[in-house]
Amino acid sequence: MKTVANLAPVGQAGPTLEELRDFIEHEAELLDERRFDEWLDLYSEDAVYWVPAAHGQQDWTSHVSLYYDEKHTMRTRVTRLKHPMIHCQDPPSATVRVLSNFKLAPAGDTGGEYRVHSKFIMLEDRVGADRRVFGGRYLHTLRQEDRRLRIVQKRVQLTNCDQSFPLLTQPF
Amino acid sequence: MTYTNEEFANMVQADRVHRAYYTDPDVFDVEMRKVFGKVWVYVGHDSLVPRPGDYYCTTLAGQPVVLSRDDKGGVHVLYNRCGHRGAKVLSTTRGNARVFSCMYHGWGFRPNGELAGVPMRADFPEASLNEARAGMERLARVDSYRGFVFASMDPDVMPLLDFLGVARQGIDELVDRSPEGRIEFSAGCHRYHFRGNWKLQMDNMADTYHPAAAHGSTVGRDGRQFQRRAGQEGGAALFFAPNGEAVVSQLGVRGFKHGHSSEQSLFDKEQSGGVWDEYRAMLVARHGEERTADILKNRRHSLTLFPTLDILIAQTSVRVVKPIAVDFTEVEVWPVRLAGAPEVISEDLVKYLNMTHSASSFIQTDDLEAFERCQEGMKAHGSDWILVARGMGSEIDEGDGVLFGARSSEVGQRAKHYAWRALMSA
Repeated sequence: MKTVANLAPVGQAGPTLEELRDFIEHEAELLDERRFDEWLDLYSEDAVYWVPAAHGQQDWTSHVSLYYDEKHTMRTRVTRLKHPMIHCQDPPSATVRVLSNFKLAPAGDTGGEYRVHSKFIMLEDRVGADRRVFGGRYLHTLRQEDRRLRIVQKRVQLTNCDQSFPLLTQPF
Repeated sequence: MTYTNEEFANMVQADRVHRAYYTDPDVFDVEMRKVFGKVWVYVGHDSLVPRPGDYYCTTLAGQPVVLSRDDKGGVHVLYNRCGHRGAKVLSTTRGNARVFSCMYHGWGFRPNGELAGVPMRADFPEASLNEARAGMERLARVDSYRGFVFASMDPDVMPLLDFLGVARQGIDELVDRSPEGRIEFSAGCHRYHFRGNWKLQMDNMADTYHPAAAHGSTVGRDGRQFQRRAGQEGGAALFFAPNGEAVVSQLGVRGFKHGHSSEQSLFDKEQSGGVWDEYRAMLVARHGEERTADILKNRRHSLTLFPTLDILIAQTSVRVVKPIAVDFTEVEVWPVRLAGAPEVISEDLVKYLNMTHSASSFIQTDDLEAFERCQEGMKAHGSDWILVARGMGSEIDEGDGVLFGARSSEVGQRAKHYAWRALMSA
């Protein structure tokens, strides 16, 4: 496995895996802390937040997804998460995400984009509801824009993606 | 405790239902026999089994069943149960096989349910193998309407078309939107569940009164809801009328014979612009202008067939409700591909349905919260009765057993309750 030290593309001043990992852990922290506006701001204008509903699902047009949000849909989602009449968040959820196993995918010809694999476990608790445990793999596609990292795509492959779910309000 | 027929009848009054209707496990057990065992219940769409040997596993009233296609093209509904020791034969949701093979002792069955092979057969008395129940048994009756396959466990059930009555027009209105008059379930389904009774979800499908309160978080400052369908026009709808009432709650509801219901559409314009104009031209080429305008008219938001099928006409999709326990229900929502229509229409539909009918949708989540709070609230003994009186006495009789109620009348919910009462007290 590659180490943190040797992952910056040769001859480029790109971010190290350590910097990419800090960024992705920061994203998880914003969700845990329900700082949804700041979370939204991490995403580029052409971003897609995607949670497939099948193992091996290739795209979001030929099969339903648990989440398929373009940036304007993400805005609607965040607006709703902050709305006083979102009854399914009365009381609100508390979540914690634990991330591990970060790996940088081969750069290929992605031109300035970085693809980072990681694994996660997320607990969600809400008074009156059963404890929920979610887990799976993240694939973040990141890009440097104006000297800061943006998320271009986040794919969340849940281990139980093809099963029935209770109502979902929290992005994974 | 068990109930007498008279006690079941008394659970549904003209304007209210007893909370036991939703909360008593004994009522649920009897429903499986007297409601689900007696009517036509939707099983699946025949596009899920297009080729010989294809199968689709599902449940009907909690029982494992298989929708299958035999080598002559016939469609069957089988109990997913080995005729030997009762093991569930097929375990993968969808697949194809010439013989359905039981993992326990290796018995094999043809897609029409007949016993195809028994290892070491000579050691069985032959008579015990030469009967239908040695195979995967078929449900008593199977019939379909425009690709929608229904089954009944009652051999004496009325003909399917009589059961559907004029409510079958809801299926026509969906399928006719395909330029070929044919739909496909080709993009999987959303699956969600809630801790509540199945009838709470059914009531909700004939409830245009709840959106202003329940879905308040989806309405922006400008009084418009987010765009729910593709198209430059006809995709978003004004949520609040100038007098402050929710537009959807000003619309009417219909109740049909045998417990079916429908809701008027929130959308007032055809979807248009770009590919929608191309699609419309395809329909005009086939049907002419007048018929096309009729097909694309936003007549109904949805049409719900008793006991558990919902044709979501506005969202071009189909919802199936599966009762699991008195207080636990699973729901599936299938996007529909309109055969012959431009592919991007189906693709857009899949994308938009994630927003409106996935487990994470902006709409469905607050409905599920409402169902769970009903189930919780009905534990309270303050009153044993659930009111369903809205619009009562002002219904308009449209003939054929159809009652129209304006302004989010609860007439469609009453139709379901009355159909339930007739079955449970018989």
